[in-house]
Amino acid sequence: MNKSALSTQLKRLLPRGRVLDSPAQLAGYASDALGYKSYQPDAVVIPADAEELVGFMKGARQLGVPVILRGAGTSLSGGPVAAQGGVIVHTSGLKRIREINVEGFWCEVECGVGLNALDAELKPHGVFYPPDPSSGPVCTLGGNVASNAGGAHCFRYGVTSNYVLGVEVILLDGSVHRFGGPAGGRGPWREDWKRFMIGSEGTLGAFTRFWLRLLPLPEKVWTFRATYPDLRSIEAAIHALVAHSSYPAAIELLDPRGVAMVESSQMAVGLPKGSFMLLTEIDGPAALVNARVEPVAQALRQAGSSDVVFSDEDAMRQKLWKARKAAGGLLGQLSPDYVVQDAVIPKSALAEVLQLVYDEADAAGIRAVNIFHAGDGNLHPNFLFDSRVPGDLEKVEIISERLMRRVIEVGGTLSGEHGIGNDKAAYMPLVFGPDSMRLQWAVPAAFNPSHQLNPLKVFGNRRFAA
Amino acid sequence: MDPKPVLPDYFSNCTHCGFCLAVCPTYNLTGDENNSPRGRLRLWSEEAAGRLTQDEWTDFYTAECVGCLACETACPANVPYGELFEHTRHDHVAAGRFKPALALRVAAAAVGRPAWFNLALLPARLLRRLGLPLHRFLFKGRPAVLQSTADYTRKLMQRYRPTGPRVAFLTGCLMEAAFREINFATVRVLIENNVQVIIPDDQTCCGAFQEHTGLEGVDALRDQNRRAFLPLDVDAVVSNSSGCGYALGKSLAPDKPVRDVLDFLGELGPVRRERHGSTARLYVDLPCHLVHGQKLAGIPSKVLDATGHRWEFAPNARDCCGSGGVYNIQKPENAHAILASKSAFLNEAEGIPVILGTSNHVCMMQWHSAGASGLVVRPYEVKHIIQLLDPGVDFDI
Repeated sequence: MNKSALSTQLKRLLPRGRVLDSPAQLAGYASDALGYKSYQPDAVVIPADAEELVGFMKGARQLGVPVILRGAGTSLSGGPVAAQGGVIVHTSGLKRIREINVEGFWCEVECGVGLNALDAELKPHGVFYPPDPSSGPVCTLGGNVASNAGGAHCFRYGVTSNYVLGVEVILLDGSVHRFGGPAGGRGPWREDWKRFMIGSEGTLGAFTRFWLRLLPLPEKVWTFRATYPDLRSIEAAIHALVAHSSYPAAIELLDPRGVAMVESSQMAVGLPKGSFMLLTEIDGPAALVNARVEPVAQALRQAGSSDVVFSDEDAMRQKLWKARKAAGGLLGQLSPDYVVQDAVIPKSALAEVLQLVYDEADAAGIRAVNIFHAGDGNLHPNFLFDSRVPGDLEKVEIISERLMRRVIEVGGTLSGEHGIGNDKAAYMPLVFGPDSMRLQWAVPAAFNPSHQLNPLKVFGNRRFAA
Repeated sequence: MDPKPVLPDYFSNCTHCGFCLAVCPTYNLTGDENNSPRGRLRLWSEEAAGRLTQDEWTDFYTAECVGCLACETACPANVPYGELFEHTRHDHVAAGRFKPALALRVAAAAVGRPAWFNLALLPARLLRRLGLPLHRFLFKGRPAVLQSTADYTRKLMQRYRPTGPRVAFLTGCLMEAAFREINFATVRVLIENNVQVIIPDDQTCCGAFQEHTGLEGVDALRDQNRRAFLPLDVDAVVSNSSGCGYALGKSLAPDKPVRDVLDFLGELGPVRRERHGSTARLYVDLPCHLVHGQKLAGIPSKVLDATGHRWEFAPNARDCCGSGGVYNIQKPENAHAILASKSAFLNEAEGIPVILGTSNHVCMMQWHSAGASGLVVRPYEVKHIIQLLDPGVDFDI
């Protein structure tokens, strides 16, 4: 189908939504937050609402081109991009919060609802939705479910899959399926199948809405930040916190380059130059949590910090979290392009693997910045480069592969929360053997046999053949 | 290691994190990536790099931007979006890719000649003075028709002879020509608070009008204002319009900072107005060019307390109202839709009367239009916060 015929067909499928097809309209959709990899789609559609998305999916097979679902485009793995061309479906029109059921501790939201927008609506009801990826101000629940997003607080609270009670999904034959629902596994729905959907990265179907589990807001929250002179002492602090009886909700690390960038941004919080920063939080019933404040501060000091600050004031706490969560964007102060890895390692290997990151990067003349979820060993080494300098990207790819091999040797894995996308698809065989790969492949093959949905993602050779 | 951009061009800073999308009024309105700061930056950079030819859609999405600068506040990479946008808009207008409306082109030519502009808008002052509704943007007020702010200031200065800090006051073009009562109130408040006020005679439009429209002339205006303000021996240059203050600040940087008059008064601790038994409620909205342009935390609570009113921030007070300088003239449908969600709370707001207070006359025009265009169906007043600190016309006697 040529582009003009494709546009005509799309306009027929979306009478109320929008069809974008000029080169300038497609430019903004050429990448996700992994900006250096660009793929021009053939068209972009923005359905007006869920009903129109269903209509589009019913007719999508006849289009004969790949179909890629996209939330806010904050993915860091090259997930919602047109790697094999095709039509990107931007779900920004599906942003209704359909129900907040406070008594039942669940809510029903459309896939385009923003994560922080949901939290703002939930807060007055005294409930919250725990997963908190750093892109919260803009990312959507659809993207969160597609990549099984985590976040800083997943150390104690767990990731998206722990909070999805049900998913409504449309397959490419136009059939609408509901896996789970507000009653979770207790209703008439085939709830176990929802687990296939979470983390499926747009390869199985299009999500329209979710039923999400909520928790009561903690009565009291204390946020701590401590700075350390070196990797050895901050590693000691991490181990002390992980084993601490106060059971922190989050344990985060910023290395000195991360600290320097925070301090030269609008998110500055007064951190000493050259220090490693640890951010941690405890929450729960006020009497219990208040009693734990001093023991946590003591543990942070004993590990080697003479600079421990803690607060239960919302404004101060939000400021600290804002500084941590702006990490991806902060990198722009240093470099336009970066590759961020998402490996998860056993905590015992933390210092060794971090040192490897610095050593490999230094040897290659590439700058590395580590800002990550230290508590659960979810590393995010950011390798900075300039895509316009020949050879830079290749250096980063070599470092990344060496790192990934070591991660697997120490018993770690490929991705904690960003998804595989097309950025990490090449590493899949490093972790999974042929039998495992065959089984994983069988899932998209069952739901989406022609691989029309999001081809070339997760599996580097999963290609759509019209 | 000191973080420094490794590349010379501005575009390099954007890492596509997307934080700007959430705060962008046009992205929220349309759900279209291209209609966001991240999208526009990509369009401009792709065109600059020669990977994208000139396209009417690039022109369209550029013109769609309100220029609220909320994206600059949200940006961790310090991308100077406002500067890039201003530069691009100017280029588009110069190349004929975007043509501002005739009325705006005429006004842009006039604002640089304050005497003409004041004369041209004399009917507007007169009709406002007589209380005759003229246009949905013309909020209520009783400006002096003939006496200028400069004359009025000289008279009050001679009468009260304040001894405190000396300030040079930007009277503005539209503010002086149409909404002069706000300037008069500003002068009364400053003098009551023992501030010496100087009105440089040769000052001119701050240049915001040209920046908003992309029309030529901003450099000449900036030069003239530098000549008017920089030689003065004053403690501060102050403005009572956050947009004008932001634009003048760019003209006088780095030699003289320009202070928002409310921020300046916050440090002094202004004289408080007592309103015993008042049932009024004040809802404070923060202009974009105050919080995102000048990057102030807001309007000091000391100043808001001194109004004597029971006050609270309007919902989403840091979000744009849709005014955008002249955006509500260039893109009235978008501006109306942005205002619709901002102003909805007024229909249910408590207080008799309900007062919407802000600190930029173009935002006041936009807020007033919410009533005139039927978005708000109950009575409410639109006031500049400085007017709520005003000792009143009795101060003149």
